Amino acid sequence: MTLTDRQQLSYIASQAADARLNVELETEGMTLNIGPQHPATHGTLRIIARLDGEQVVWAEPVAGYMHRGYEKLTEVRTFPQVTSLINRIDWLGSFANEVPFILAAEKLMEIEAPPRAQVIRTILFELSRIANVSLFLGDLGVQMGAITPVFLAFRDREYILNLIEGATGGRFHPNFDRIGGLKDDLPKGWIQETKGAVKKLEEFCDTIDDLLFGNEIFQSRMRGIGVIPADIAKDYGLSGANARASGIDWDLRRDQDLPLSYDLADWKVWTHPDGDSWARCWIRLQETRESCKIVGQLLDQIPAGPVMTKVPRIIKVPEGEAWVATENPLGEMGYYVVSKGDLGPFRVKIRSASFNNISIVPWALKGVYVPDIITILASLYFILGDIDR
Amino acid sequence: MAQLSDDTQTPQGDTAPAALPGDGLREGIVDTLRNDIGEALLDTLLKPNDDLWVRVSTESWLATGQALKAAGFTYFCFLSAIDWMPSPFGNSQDDPDDEPKQIDMTIKQGYTGGETRMQVFARLTDIDRHVGITVKADVADDNQVVDSWSQLFAGANWHERECHEMFGIGFNNHPDLRNMYLPGDFEGYPLKKDFPLLARMVKPWPGIVDVEPMPDFEEAADAPAAEAPAGAIEGAES
Amino acid sequence: MGLVDKGRLPAPLTKLFNLSRSYSLWVYQWGLACCAIEMGAAFGSPRYDVMRLGVIPLPASPRQADFVCVSGTVTDKMAPAVKRLWEQMPEPKYAISMGSCANCGGPYWDSYSVTKGVDQIIPIDVYVPGCPPRPEALLEGIVLLQQRIKNEDMAAKWRGDEFTTLQRTRAMEAGEVDREGELISDTRSISDEPMPEVAAAHPEPIVVGGGPIE
Ligand code: SF4
Repeated sequence: MTLTDRQQLSYIASQAADARLNVELETEGMTLNIGPQHPATHGTLRIIARLDGEQVVWAEPVAGYMHRGYEKLTEVRTFPQVTSLINRIDWLGSFANEVPFILAAEKLMEIEAPPRAQVIRTILFELSRIANVSLFLGDLGVQMGAITPVFLAFRDREYILNLIEGATGGRFHPNFDRIGGLKDDLPKGWIQETKGAVKKLEEFCDTIDDLLFGNEIFQSRMRGIGVIPADIAKDYGLSGANARASGIDWDLRRDQDLPLSYDLADWKVWTHPDGDSWARCWIRLQETRESCKIVGQLLDQIPAGPVMTKVPRIIKVPEGEAWVATENPLGEMGYYVVSKGDLGPFRVKIRSASFNNISIVPWALKGVYVPDIITILASLYFILGDIDR
Repeated sequence: MAQLSDDTQTPQGDTAPAALPGDGLREGIVDTLRNDIGEALLDTLLKPNDDLWVRVSTESWLATGQALKAAGFTYFCFLSAIDWMPSPFGNSQDDPDDEPKQIDMTIKQGYTGGETRMQVFARLTDIDRHVGITVKADVADDNQVVDSWSQLFAGANWHERECHEMFGIGFNNHPDLRNMYLPGDFEGYPLKKDFPLLARMVKPWPGIVDVEPMPDFEEAADAPAAEAPAGAIEGAES
Repeated sequence: MGLVDKGRLPAPLTKLFNLSRSYSLWVYQWGLACCAIEMGAAFGSPRYDVMRLGVIPLPASPRQADFVCVSGTVTDKMAPAVKRLWEQMPEPKYAISMGSCANCGGPYWDSYSVTKGVDQIIPIDVYVPGCPPRPEALLEGIVLLQQRIKNEDMAAKWRGDEFTTLQRTRAMEAGEVDREGELISDTRSISDEPMPEVAAAHPEPIVVGGGPIE
């Protein structure tokens, strides 16, 4: 821990020295506008940064360029229609978006999916996590000028997308989860295929570990930068890998009782004490490995049986309120579903992970240098659909 | 796996998770909260093995947040609002040729009740004890303002901005309640129930044609074969 | 481009220009939502490899791009930025709209904040439907755009006219069709038509200085 402590200290000292220099040199303030369309902002986020010399005095993200009005639209859709809509919130791990909503609806209806459906759900959930985070890992290099990792990521991600497509029919937006189970059973030969693909993804993780995380430039640009302490992280509601990188041992896959089959597998929640950019990325790398492990183990444990319980043809969800959150690729994603006994929900509050994760940006960017803006944003990892909804 | 330096290996995670939250724990939380804010705790609902809801008075909204934070609910999950008025436009899914249904406009609040049309609600989590709580408070109809939590939980800042933009609810002492989503010249509060979706007004919901009977369900077999498409939804409900 | 300025270009020269233009298309990726990832897969991944079609997906700015691929949901807040981007691009420029959202609003057809179709803001040459379209579909859209460019009457494009094919301009000059005439300009039917070819039996006379050819 000494290494990173020292690095953090030297970073802070250099920041302070620079601030003094700024005063001496009487540097002029300047406003830097990044976005709304900028490759480094993962889509259409706009960052307005007020600079003093090379340092950020304050920064402010401007969201809303991707606001599509999900919460209003869910009120005019029926429950089965909502899944096809909320697929598109976090578009890199679409299946994971459906699960908490379906679970909330099932909770209100007091039904539960059959065990086979639960295991398959968990497998697809983890596959979408791999599809999501592998692109993050590839994209990380691009933020620092390394082009190769993103090609690797796109190459290896295709294996996962093929699997998701094989099982659900959609590469991206499966719309596969149903209230009471799944739309279909797995196709023949899928399990064998998946085992092969998971191996490939594990190799991909090793490659990225060598290529990126072992790289000195990468380390020196990430370590000790953008430190977020645990209590600040809790205050802002950071979740997922961002929280675990600050040492918060909190994973909704492990720490709550949901009808998903995580307890069938033997896996580990990684945390990191540093809370810097590097820790956040490193946690994500480890999580991809853990996901591969979970999928590999669950594939051997799929029980026989139906994938759908009996549900009425026209689904009417009884009156009530339910909150279900799961550990999505980006962090805690939850749905607060209010039903009035109609065909559609009365109100759905979508608690998306990136919204909270990005609200820390004004705090995290205060005082950093301009090149670090990009790496800090990259390591916080957000998806625009997940911020704006 | 490449070589990792020592500081990346953390011992956590292998330890067994703390006991999952029991209902006894939740009752204890309610008691603590009642001790702290007293009469302001208006109603509570504890669903066994599920979740905990409390409703507090509007004036004690901030005090509740403080009390809960002191009681260990340090993780801010979300803050939002609900408009309990039924939508005057229905669910916009009916056949336009049908008789317009009579919409019952009585306002009926959900769990833990309430008196007003608007309610703010927030969710906090205690990470150590693995338990969450949903807090609700009424927002007066004539004066739609509550205290801001943004000094208490920094994350509430953006959630309150969103809430202000979507529902028009004001927050006392909020640093800046600018719009965050919509372009500057947007009028209205989209998540209020009386905000119309214009695209739906000018064009009937295309989904109403999609009511073909599905052959492999008993209900479909029982139902008369030549059912009118528009009637299929009502017919199958019985 | 003196010849072009005169509004008349010999057909073989047009053909040559069109051929070279269609195989060195620099595309600006205007990725907005989920479709952007599929666009990234089409443009950036080794599996789909768009460069084999002669499309270069890496211009640094819209000012050096030949066509823009708008992929994803255009919101009302984003719309002015899209328009400004389009205005920055140099002529001749083309636009592909990828995904149902960009085409017509898609799943958000009833939303209060989504622009129902990017064609309300900028003119679109090729629509690629799907939610999201597969990368192959985008590649087909690009191939169709290339066919359109190959058949294009460059001079008309330079003058800022509506899109016309060279055949149509010639036919119009010969009085075979009028302005609203039969030869339609949608991309599909162009791809079936032969290129404006100089048949070996009837070599087109080339007049130096750009006089009438036929
Ligand atoms: S068309 Fe579908 S996939 Fe594409 S941006 Fe719109 S919602 Fe996303």
